[in-house]
Amino acid sequence: MSETQQPLIKLAGVGKSYPLVQKGGHQLAQVWSRLRGTEPSHVFKALQDISFDVYKGQSVGLVGVNGAGKSTLLKLIAGVVKPTTGRLERRGRIGALLELGTGFHPDYTGRDNIYLACALMGLSHADTQSRIDGILAFADIGEHIDQPLKHYSSGMVVRLGFAVATSVVPDVLITDEVLAVGDESFQKKCIVWMENYLNNGGTLLLCSHSMYHIQKLCKQAVWIDQGRIREKGLSANVARNYLAWHEEKGRPSKVANVSSKTASQDTEGIYHVESMNLNGIDKQQVISLNPQSDLTVSGTVYSPDGRTPHIAVGIVRADGTPIYGIVSEMDMHALKANAQGLYPFEIVFKHLPLLPGRYVARSHAMDPEGMRLFDHVEQSFDVLGDSRELGYVHLEHHWVEK
Amino acid sequence: MYACSALTVAWRHRALLWALTRRDIQNRYTGSVAGALWAFMHPLALLALYAVVFEAVFKVKVPNLFTGQPYVLFVALALWPWMAFQEAVMRGTTAVQQNGALVKKVAFDHELLIYSAVLSCFAIHGVGFAVVLVILGVLGFNIHFLGLLSLLAFVPVLLLMALVLALLLGALQVFVRDVEQLLSQAMTVLFYATPILFPMAIVPRWLAEAMHYNPLVHVIEPLRNGLLGQGSFDAESIAWVAFVSVIAFAVARAFFLRLSPYFEDMV
Repeated sequence: MSETQQPLIKLAGVGKSYPLVQKGGHQLAQVWSRLRGTEPSHVFKALQDISFDVYKGQSVGLVGVNGAGKSTLLKLIAGVVKPTTGRLERRGRIGALLELGTGFHPDYTGRDNIYLACALMGLSHADTQSRIDGILAFADIGEHIDQPLKHYSSGMVVRLGFAVATSVVPDVLITDEVLAVGDESFQKKCIVWMENYLNNGGTLLLCSHSMYHIQKLCKQAVWIDQGRIREKGLSANVARNYLAWHEEKGRPSKVANVSSKTASQDTEGIYHVESMNLNGIDKQQVISLNPQSDLTVSGTVYSPDGRTPHIAVGIVRADGTPIYGIVSEMDMHALKANAQGLYPFEIVFKHLPLLPGRYVARSHAMDPEGMRLFDHVEQSFDVLGDSRELGYVHLEHHWVEK
Repeated sequence: MYACSALTVAWRHRALLWALTRRDIQNRYTGSVAGALWAFMHPLALLALYAVVFEAVFKVKVPNLFTGQPYVLFVALALWPWMAFQEAVMRGTTAVQQNGALVKKVAFDHELLIYSAVLSCFAIHGVGFAVVLVILGVLGFNIHFLGLLSLLAFVPVLLLMALVLALLLGALQVFVRDVEQLLSQAMTVLFYATPILFPMAIVPRWLAEAMHYNPLVHVIEPLRNGLLGQGSFDAESIAWVAFVSVIAFAVARAFFLRLSPYFEDMV
């Protein structure tokens, strides 16, 4: 349905060049060339030939290494920067969180800063006044609001910035690494806000180095590399390939080329789960279990560099609520390579105490350090029965006669 | 059309313009104990200094001036409009550069930075001028208060002139940092090329002819004459100056808007 609408943001062959700093009279020459409408002779092409559309309700993540041009792209879309080449169309109110607390002045009180920041977003004085209670509540700064900003902790400044920026619900929200700052509870608050925003039909453009945030908040992703689009598509795919590319880069040049033939094409470079079975049945089908029967999760893990990977296996409710998870590293269990260079694993959950309902078994390949989680393979299964017990798990119990 | 749309922009973003102007004014006084009181102290101190130097030491007498109108009054009436103009141009010139953080991160009309810088200077020195006029009036100096009405014509024109220079130089300063340095030199020259410390009447003819190319001459001199109750209000002259200023403003704004998309590259 959304495909037939006009996109909120449309980029067609957009490029942005920055003039390289030069000495002497070149600055005057630059002014002259700008006035005539020509480009300066020495430029750095920060972005080239960027084309994609963002429709209402979409959430798009931008990934890429530092200096790839992500921030420039967000600035273009936010309207801070004009494209040098190509066409950029924007519709609706675009809210930009390029840097929380931009325009805040340390000598003024939080309240004064709210008024200026709101004015920068185009709010009238009366509009700001009607929103100020909501902003104060979200920022949760208390009596400090009438203190100069320089006495705030950095967390308070960030909270105030986010509260101001989200006081007007924009048609498109653009954020740049905003989630990287602030403490845990603030991040949670932001994520909850963004999820609500997305659920209410909001449109999000998120730039982050956290593939977790990208995959959690964005359905689509665009990978920018050296000023060009390297890949666009579903965020899970883009994030996986992006991580794979990083692995490739970080890998020592001597490659243990064990089983590249058995690995599927797009996940070649990273640790990943090659296959997964539940009770010996492969992932295409939903299997059914009787209550208290055994569940065996088995499969193979691929290692790109011949080092022994770890495997994480977990069980979640169909809605994603986690129930149990375990990593081979926690149990000091080491996988062993088979003849094809893959690492088979098998874990048995005896007398699975789950209550009737649909569950999902997940497995993730992890690096030999047990630090990073790479992929995500899952298979659903049903637990049968008509128990009236509540919750997810049957807990052993007995009633005591009194 | 460039001049009219400036008003549209200013009106549409009046909340931002107001907030920026307020910030500019607050910027100078926050953290100081006396706060905005300095806005009053500064002109008074300057006035006292001029009184001592010119009245007690130099005993300057201006020819053609009515009796009972001392030199300090003569200077004061031209000095405050000049200070407003000069400071507005200087601050306007660095306005975009100094707000680089905003220019880099927020999408807004950059011209508002220039307007707020100029307006804040006129506001501060406007208050200073009012204080000086009141003090001089209370002290019994013969100020022609009907001349105050003529300020309604002269001050907007002076403001327009400051805006013209601030727009031109403010845009240029982003690219060429030498502008600020050159400007302080140029302002000293302009100060003496404008009848502030002296009346045009005592300037030799050849020099006066050259000075007439300085548009400030056509504002400062009649403004002071009005307040001194000398001469008559020359509506035709001020209308002509105003007309030229509006044209110049339109050109300056076109120049600024042409360069403003590239500010982010440079600040």
